Amino acid sequence: MSQMLSPDMTIAAEAVTKAKIEVKNLNFYYGQSKALKDITLSLPERSVTAFIGPSGCGKSTLLRVFNRIYELYPKQTAEGQVLLDGQNILDRSQDLNLLRTKIGMVFQKPTPFPMSIYENIAFGVRLYEKISKAEMDGRVEQALKRAALWTEVKDKLNASGLSLSGGQQQRLCIARTVAVKPEVILLDEPASALDPLSTAKIEELIDELQADYTIVIVTHNMQQAARVSKQTAFMYLGELVEFDRTEKIFTSPREKRTQDYITGRFG
Amino acid sequence: MAEHTVAAFDEDLGQISRLISDMGDLAGSMVGGATKALLNSDNALAQRVVSDDAIMDARQRELDDRAITLIAKRQPMADDLRHVVGSIRMAGDLERIGDLAKNIAKRVGTVGLSATPRELSHSIDAMAQLVLIQVQGVIEEYAARDAAALAKLRADDERIDVKYTSVFRELLTYMMEDPRNITACTHLLFCAKNLERIGDHVTNIAENAYYVLTGTQLPANRPKQDETAMSAPAA
Repeated sequence: MSQMLSPDMTIAAEAVTKAKIEVKNLNFYYGQSKALKDITLSLPERSVTAFIGPSGCGKSTLLRVFNRIYELYPKQTAEGQVLLDGQNILDRSQDLNLLRTKIGMVFQKPTPFPMSIYENIAFGVRLYEKISKAEMDGRVEQALKRAALWTEVKDKLNASGLSLSGGQQQRLCIARTVAVKPEVILLDEPASALDPLSTAKIEELIDELQADYTIVIVTHNMQQAARVSKQTAFMYLGELVEFDRTEKIFTSPREKRTQDYITGRFG
Repeated sequence: MAEHTVAAFDEDLGQISRLISDMGDLAGSMVGGATKALLNSDNALAQRVVSDDAIMDARQRELDDRAITLIAKRQPMADDLRHVVGSIRMAGDLERIGDLAKNIAKRVGTVGLSATPRELSHSIDAMAQLVLIQVQGVIEEYAARDAAALAKLRADDERIDVKYTSVFRELLTYMMEDPRNITACTHLLFCAKNLERIGDHVTNIAENAYYVLTGTQLPANRPKQDETAMSAPAA
């Protein structure tokens, strides 16, 4: 991947890992307003990458490009390339349903469907696969176990997803994402509305999931980015300012803007 | 350096810097006082150095408390994190310098330097001056944020090692010449060793300060010129 990046965006330590997502010269517009400016970076497979930066810096926008969810809204356009395993997902020919099974997303606020815990997971699976009840039972159990929620809900699978606590609802959303067997999981501030214990559970879960999935997390909590990610991208005013190993970013960043932001000296 | 959005964060970091600066000044004064007391057989001055060590220990405890509290309250990052962790480590070395100076001071009464040759006191004096320049220099260069000067200062420890080797040989010679010198020379040998160890602690401080300022480590190996371990059997 290192060949794809300008020298200052190369992460030497990760060079051996295959790139799952490669972003090349990406520009993004909300109408006339340019929200992402010539972003080029490469996200290694089965690893956690964090996007940090002040509000409005473009980190969530970048995340939303990865599954083209921005297309649900008018006048939002992306230019450039986003390669998933070498295929440009911005191509018009890209099947969006297929893309979104490969790239799952979890939002800041837990968004369980107003249906049972079981159905919250089965619903998504049924959209893409026809499987028997027994297979579906197995799939639901597996997804809930993967999201570290099974022991807490196994005796009340028919209860409403909305009856769970905020932290449990968020893990249910992660279970729902995992159930359709994605390759990439996008997390947009997944723990910002949760208490510290639920946050710790989510972080533990992220740590476990990275063995099988490529994870991208947007967070305002810098300690969280430092704890969960292997590489961190700092963005500011739509630009990628610095992208490096997380240890490097949080101990001795190269760019003054990064240093000022993470040490709390901004504006 | 721009100020933090939270002004109290700057105040907390400033207090840690001031403590390091105070401890550095105290370390310089203790090393200078201990060697002066040794060379002049000045028991009163020696006593002052011994009592200064309690102040040094108290400063280190205060710095530890402040640093731990700052980490807990503010979760420092990048240069702030290096500053706080580096300060904890530098304070540890400064406290050890205080201990070693105190050890020299405690020997003043028993050495009776008048019984030993004049040339010897010159050698110890010259070594002490080198050490003192290093102790004072490291705190000054850190305060001036001069990383290049710190790297040079670290390399300059070599001169202390060379001097220590020569003092070691000199002391052995005096002991062999006249066994009545053995008590005083043994104490002086400990004093010289203490000065050499102070030089090593200054080296550690310079390495930490360099890392705090630059975010990179100096190369692990530094030239070593203390040959006493090798030369002892031959001498």
